[in-house]
Amino acid sequence: MISLLHAFLPLAELAMIQCLLALSQYTVLRAGVFSVATAGYACLGAYSAAVLVTQYGVSPYMGIAAAALVGLIAGIVLSIPLALLRGTFQAIATTAFGEVVCAMALYAEPITQGAMGINGIPKVVGPLGLLVALVLVTILIVTISRSGIGRAFDAIRQDETVAVSLGVNVRKYHAFAFAISGTIGGLAGALLAFNTYSIVPEQFGYIMVVPVLAAVVLGGRVSVAGPIIGATILTILPELARPLAAQRFFLQGGILIFVMVYLPDGIVDTVLNRIKVSRSARHLVLQPQPRSS
Amino acid sequence: MLTQQIFDGIVVGGTYALFALGMTLVFGVHHVLNLAHASLFMWGGMAGLYVVTALGLPFPVALLVGALAGGVLGIGLDFVAFRPLRKRTDEFGPLVSSIGANLILLNIAQQLTSAQIMGYPFGTFPAVTFHFLSIRMSLLQLTILAFTAAAVLLMGWYFKTSFGRQMRAVALSETTASLVGINPLGVYLQTFFISGALAGAAGVLVGLAFNSVSFLMGEPILLKAFVVIILGGLGSVRGAIIAGLLLGIIQTLAVSYLSSELSDAVLFTALFIILLVKPTGFFPGMRRDARVVRQ
Repeated sequence: MISLLHAFLPLAELAMIQCLLALSQYTVLRAGVFSVATAGYACLGAYSAAVLVTQYGVSPYMGIAAAALVGLIAGIVLSIPLALLRGTFQAIATTAFGEVVCAMALYAEPITQGAMGINGIPKVVGPLGLLVALVLVTILIVTISRSGIGRAFDAIRQDETVAVSLGVNVRKYHAFAFAISGTIGGLAGALLAFNTYSIVPEQFGYIMVVPVLAAVVLGGRVSVAGPIIGATILTILPELARPLAAQRFFLQGGILIFVMVYLPDGIVDTVLNRIKVSRSARHLVLQPQPRSS
Repeated sequence: MLTQQIFDGIVVGGTYALFALGMTLVFGVHHVLNLAHASLFMWGGMAGLYVVTALGLPFPVALLVGALAGGVLGIGLDFVAFRPLRKRTDEFGPLVSSIGANLILLNIAQQLTSAQIMGYPFGTFPAVTFHFLSIRMSLLQLTILAFTAAAVLLMGWYFKTSFGRQMRAVALSETTASLVGINPLGVYLQTFFISGALAGAAGVLVGLAFNSVSFLMGEPILLKAFVVIILGGLGSVRGAIIAGLLLGIIQTLAVSYLSSELSDAVLFTALFIILLVKPTGFFPGMRRDARVVRQ
């Protein structure tokens, strides 16, 4: 039993970090922004936390808070120019942002140790800490998505012109989405750094963007459960079927194509939509209720 | 020294232009940013290497086979990743499924090559150098330039033919094009074949120029191609060529006068700024709206 737990815990830690990153990616996609800047926020968060703790002796918890703050600022700053762009152009611009962040982490060697990466970061975040962070972030996002902000996000994603005509301030809500995404991304980066002892610039490049995007696409872009379930499946599936572990890319790629072609809303949203449709159909046929919640 | 750097930059830029040309062509006709273009490039390079090392055939055959492999894979890509999504209007779907196709092609190459970096055997290409106006140029560099120029001229001619007109008509509106008797299916197959063939040929040339072929060779050039197609205007063929050459020169100068890490940072910051100032690029092409249309 204990050995099973030992084998399971690192995987659970990885899955929870992926969930946090996926939630960061989910927030922007839900608001209709095609940003892939999550890896860039994570890089900023991880490096600022790691540098503060290893070189300036700041307490790790302050480091995590600082990382979230750095992510927040990065998100807000990024949202100002990106308000001008849409669709594919947003994706390219945020890819460029991620590449600039990675290149700077490589270049600023006196601070970030360049390609060597930062090693010997104290491991202060265990599975419990990650779980607490994930639960808190999930509660935050659920609260936001049930408020007016969440409805505004949905309206903008479905049809921006209609949203504008209804008086939704698109620029403001896009800035909100970037800020939330940046905060969660920075937080996830810091937790990753405090969980894995060492960070290198390369791990925050394209190689982090794709699985995070895949998780949100697989799970769904509307309900909060979508990214969490997507990230969990994508992390655990290759480990459950050990022969598949070497084919991780193949599996991710196949899932991306399959989901895009057959389940464009993702697993969770497709299921929820089915339930919603069948429920309303039952109401219509059997007992028309005066007021349905 | 400076002229030598600029010449080297033009050669590098020629390969960027070849690569970005296919990408911008597909974007112009399909309005799809094909991220799997990087793996067509890589598979072209692999096929060329296989022809030279395993079959022992001369280099021109390798170039031809590389282009053919890229083209056929490009058509396959269209069938698997893009065709099922064509009826939907959002650009999220095709982009994501092209990322998926890229991962699959990458994984297959990784398994086949055991993730090794391979090189061409010595003497595949004659190591002849010429000196002209104090510029040192190898035969390989001249071949790359000549091939790029030939491909560009061929494309220019092709665009003027009936097929080219059909292509531009479908790019404007698929429905209207089919009303006047154009078969969009044929146009899609042609664009994907040409795009893949250009990528495959670029893969063979780059693989030989750096004498290194690996499953990861596509990603750096894909990121460079983003800069090229944005600078040149998404969908603009002329823009891709000019921007590709320009980027090659800028990059070579930046690497030699700054540092290689900083050159990447400079490049992508420039991309970011271009996107903000002029997202449609500096050359008119078969483009669409990048900015918000409403006021």
